[in-house]
Amino acid sequence: MSIVDTPVPVAPAAPARATARLLRSELRLVFGRVRNLVLLAGLAAVPLLIGTVLFVTQSTPVAGQGPPFLDRVTGNGVFLVFAALVSCLPFLLPLCVAIVSGDAIAGEASTGTLRYLLVVPVPRTRLLLAKAVAALAFAGAAVVAIAVVGLAAGAAYFGVGDVVLLSGDTIPLAAGMLRTLGVVGYVIASLTGLVAVGLFLSTLTEVPVAAMASTVVVAIVSGVLDALPQLSAIHPGLLTHHWLDFGEFLRLEVDASTLLAGLAVQGAWVAIFGALAWSRFTTADVSS
Amino acid sequence: MAPTGTVRVPSDVVLSLVSGTLGHSGPMDTTRSLSPRVRWAVPAVAAGAVAAAFLVPAAVGAVASDDLPAVTADELVDRVANAEKVPVSGTVVYTARLGLPDVTVSELQGAGPLDLLGGSTTMRVWSDGEDASRAALLGDVSEYSVVRSGPEAWTYSSADDEAVHYVVDPADLERYEALADEAAEPSVEGDVPTPSEAADLALAQARIYTDITTTDPVEVAGRSAYQVELRPQTDGTLVDRIRVAVDAETSVVLRTQVWSVQDTEDPALEVGFTDVSFDAPDPSVFDFSPPAGAEVREVEVPLPEPGTMEKPGSEALGEDAGFAVSGTGWETVVEVSDVDVEEILGATAEGRLPEGSTGSSGADDLLEEFTDAEEGELPGIPELDTQALYDQLTTPVDGGRLLTSALLSVLVTDDGRVLAGAVPPATLEELAG
Repeated sequence: MSIVDTPVPVAPAAPARATARLLRSELRLVFGRVRNLVLLAGLAAVPLLIGTVLFVTQSTPVAGQGPPFLDRVTGNGVFLVFAALVSCLPFLLPLCVAIVSGDAIAGEASTGTLRYLLVVPVPRTRLLLAKAVAALAFAGAAVVAIAVVGLAAGAAYFGVGDVVLLSGDTIPLAAGMLRTLGVVGYVIASLTGLVAVGLFLSTLTEVPVAAMASTVVVAIVSGVLDALPQLSAIHPGLLTHHWLDFGEFLRLEVDASTLLAGLAVQGAWVAIFGALAWSRFTTADVSS
Repeated sequence: MAPTGTVRVPSDVVLSLVSGTLGHSGPMDTTRSLSPRVRWAVPAVAAGAVAAAFLVPAAVGAVASDDLPAVTADELVDRVANAEKVPVSGTVVYTARLGLPDVTVSELQGAGPLDLLGGSTTMRVWSDGEDASRAALLGDVSEYSVVRSGPEAWTYSSADDEAVHYVVDPADLERYEALADEAAEPSVEGDVPTPSEAADLALAQARIYTDITTTDPVEVAGRSAYQVELRPQTDGTLVDRIRVAVDAETSVVLRTQVWSVQDTEDPALEVGFTDVSFDAPDPSVFDFSPPAGAEVREVEVPLPEPGTMEKPGSEALGEDAGFAVSGTGWETVVEVSDVDVEEILGATAEGRLPEGSTGSSGADDLLEEFTDAEEGELPGIPELDTQALYDQLTTPVDGGRLLTSALLSVLVTDDGRVLAGAVPPATLEELAG
């Protein structure tokens, strides 16, 4: 966690140190929790599971069926990363984000520790930011875990080689790795909107489970709305609509405007729900 | 961890203000000066700013540029017809509101030509302005590509990892070289439309039976464009009007919109650039070779006989057995007789089993062996139950099955005739007798 040791340059001595300490303790809180580590391990097991299943069934009639990229995995282990990400995006990754971000404020409130936390001479705004960064760091760790385990398992089971793009063109493995890095970065960035939503919901309640559940519901409802063609007018603004745009990294020419459109939508959700969370958290009377 | 010491007093003041007024918190926090009402105004402002950021560019983009020199409609049609071919690349959005039953399968099967039956589809296109072009139909994490380069063409579908290689029949190759004209490029099953192809079709009809006018210049894909409007003079057709936007500088067609008489608000068919560049694309774009491990099919396409190169006119093919044209202009109905629909569907359904019936490459190869003979003639819709699709798209009527859409009606009679035209279904049933 090198981010913890980075000094905050502008802030005066005491608040800077306090903020760094706060961030470090938030990260320790999130990553030190057994529940969260089990979650991380579970997510990392997804590519391992998919890889094992594909390895065992690769010469049977059911090989080559399933979600996107699955049929490519046996030819090139790199695709296990994409197949695992596609499998985790609709539910498991939102769940993971929801558990951490939904717990951020409501969890402290329910155990009665929020009151003591607020005694620390750090503004609530900064406390909220530290919570957000910690939740996002966990979401990022989950995506990276899926990617790393996926790549390792894919390489071990099927080997890696030149990457065939969606357009049918073949690019060298090194370029393919670079694009994989882009995919991982984009998927992490795609989760920022949900982190903001989860954080806001977490400021509304003292029951962490309620915040977690409603965050998952937001992600799922967004996915359901995205599947209704009658609502195509609002689709581009939906939280989950651009999640699968990471496929852009696997096209012949990566079109930055497509990716930026997806990131802009996430930015919009972060702006609105971040502001809502801030308003709520800085005006709320914390009594427990 | 140590402070850098570069903190200037003003920012210090600001910071203490921020921490003091905005954020300093806790039970001992008594210096809050922002009222809760002001704090709650922040999300509203954020929402407003977000809305503005997303909506304003769209509104600005819609403003027409009217500083173009005026041209007449006829001049404009001429310009399009005689435009010098230039390299074009960009993003094309195709939207169909044809009123067909929803058969979108891209979520399950990946992007493919069937997506074009309804809804909105995004494509990337590249053209070198001569005989090489590429179009990619984009789906969520899938893609369907059509790559043309001179006498050969490839289609590739990422969903089933299948490549089809179309080449001009070797017997015709010499003649192809002599023609060296894009009119002679091999026809590809499941081709994807471009704005200019759609416009060509309309403009071919333009001079007769049609009122041609120009509208105010428009802006398409950030370029100033002239726009020509075509209105059929008859009301016996499903087409209400067609608008073609033509780039003012290069005379490339940037957008084609077709309205149906059923809905004069939203175009039933719209295909246009949302992003366009006239720089020559990298030649490697047109250089396709199928990926290792992909299933490759070879198809030889015979060149059409000289003389039938033009679009079938009513006289040219009138006497041809099994092929008849009635009506003129926009009311033209094409009738093909002695079509065994059942056989076509049956063969297709058998030949290309839906995905899932075989998964192993061994079984697939075996299937290929048995169905190879018809392969070339089959519709290029891979791995879909064609019979089910046919049943879904058509409705039973007296003496046959009818496909109705906003712009086209097709009647398949029980005695093996197929009638099609941009006319109301009643016209077809009347003709069929």
